[in-house]
Amino acid sequence: MNLNEAQRRIRWVTFAVLAILAMLLTVLDRTGNLDTAFAVIRDPMASIMGWTSERTNDLEDVLEGPRDLETARSEIAQLQERIDKLERENEELREIEGEYQLLLDLFNRARQAPDYQRLTGSVIGQDSIQAVRSIIIDKGSADDVRVGMPVESSRGLVGQVFRTTPNSSQVVLITDSSSAIPARLGTSRATGILSGGGVGGSLTIDWIDLKHQLEVGEVVLTSGLGGRFPQDLVIGRVIDVDRREAELFQRAVVQPAVDFESLEVLFVITDFEPVDTEIFSETE
Amino acid sequence: MMISSSIILAVPLMLILTVLQTAVLPYFPLFGVTPSLPFLVALSWAVLRGVNEGVVWAFIAGFFMDLFTAAPVGGLALTYMISVLAASLINDRLPTNRFIIPMLLAAIATVIQQLLYAIYLGIFGYSIVQVIAASFLPTVLLNTFLIMPIYWMLYFIQRAVWPKPIEV
Repeated sequence: MNLNEAQRRIRWVTFAVLAILAMLLTVLDRTGNLDTAFAVIRDPMASIMGWTSERTNDLEDVLEGPRDLETARSEIAQLQERIDKLERENEELREIEGEYQLLLDLFNRARQAPDYQRLTGSVIGQDSIQAVRSIIIDKGSADDVRVGMPVESSRGLVGQVFRTTPNSSQVVLITDSSSAIPARLGTSRATGILSGGGVGGSLTIDWIDLKHQLEVGEVVLTSGLGGRFPQDLVIGRVIDVDRREAELFQRAVVQPAVDFESLEVLFVITDFEPVDTEIFSETE
Repeated sequence: MMISSSIILAVPLMLILTVLQTAVLPYFPLFGVTPSLPFLVALSWAVLRGVNEGVVWAFIAGFFMDLFTAAPVGGLALTYMISVLAASLINDRLPTNRFIIPMLLAAIATVIQQLLYAIYLGIFGYSIVQVIAASFLPTVLLNTFLIMPIYWMLYFIQRAVWPKPIEV
């Protein structure tokens, strides 16, 4: 066997071994057998990521404008926070108004999102693939963050915790194309599944019964169906309705309340217990 | 011996690049996308040092990137390896040109990687069309041009670390 042949053999053997290893990793990851092992690598890397992200944030600020604007910036940030709060209140009020009109004769109260315990976390990284919409935050299982917990910002629902390490968590955004959230419209009370559109795509609610008269501008909230999310978390607003009388269902396009490009501080809802509804679908 | 010392270099380098990729580059997108730094480094290394080392580097790059995505682990490692291997095999049949060849290989490898990864994600329920539409063309363009500074930087590093023996 000459040297070239030996080299070629090494190449293909190396490739085959690594390819099998990659496929094995996929299988083990899908069956949930790698989380603990990978947390050992992910966790210290997430700490470095948090530090780097903070420095990058500072650098970004420096690049964005001169330092003497810092006072103005902090004032703007405060005002923005206030606007966010007021907008959120406004959306909640619209929701209350919608319910009030519908249930006026039956209820003498307005429903509000229950007060949940929220843990504040900072965004320290984004998904390494552009096509997958997820972020990494600096709170993990050591802070009692668990897989499945809903995550929101001051403006509305952001996503759900997908995996955790002791000091960080990966959150799949509601805009990811794998995301499906049971949602309800504020005024028409229609329900459906809100699907993420991935990068550049829109959030949509498909399969809405034609009996509902949807309106552009309606608030979209979590319905709580399926037990994965609490009720009445703000998701966004309807910006387009695709209604064709020839079809059985209609579709709503939703503008999220959250600006996913500028996420910094998030809240993990820590005291909501997702309900496992799988048992109801078991036949035996 | 040479391969093992190159792996020792690859592990910390890819760790640093993954941190840059997930915590720094998203703040400074170009044309709405970010280049795949670990992938470009692995590809450049394959062009400089040969396919055997390149494939190992591609695996390490993909593995670290896999750790910070919500998609299943292993997909990037696999597709990085295949695309670097394919680009290296094409490189063997091309004339030596330090300017055009890395760019051409970056374009080819990125196209292969993006398509394969879209198929991989498709297996796990993602929409292949959406995945490709998300960033395909800008990523290919960005990687094609960005490989040049990376290639030259690595060229000088490898010349410094493993200098060519002088023939007398």
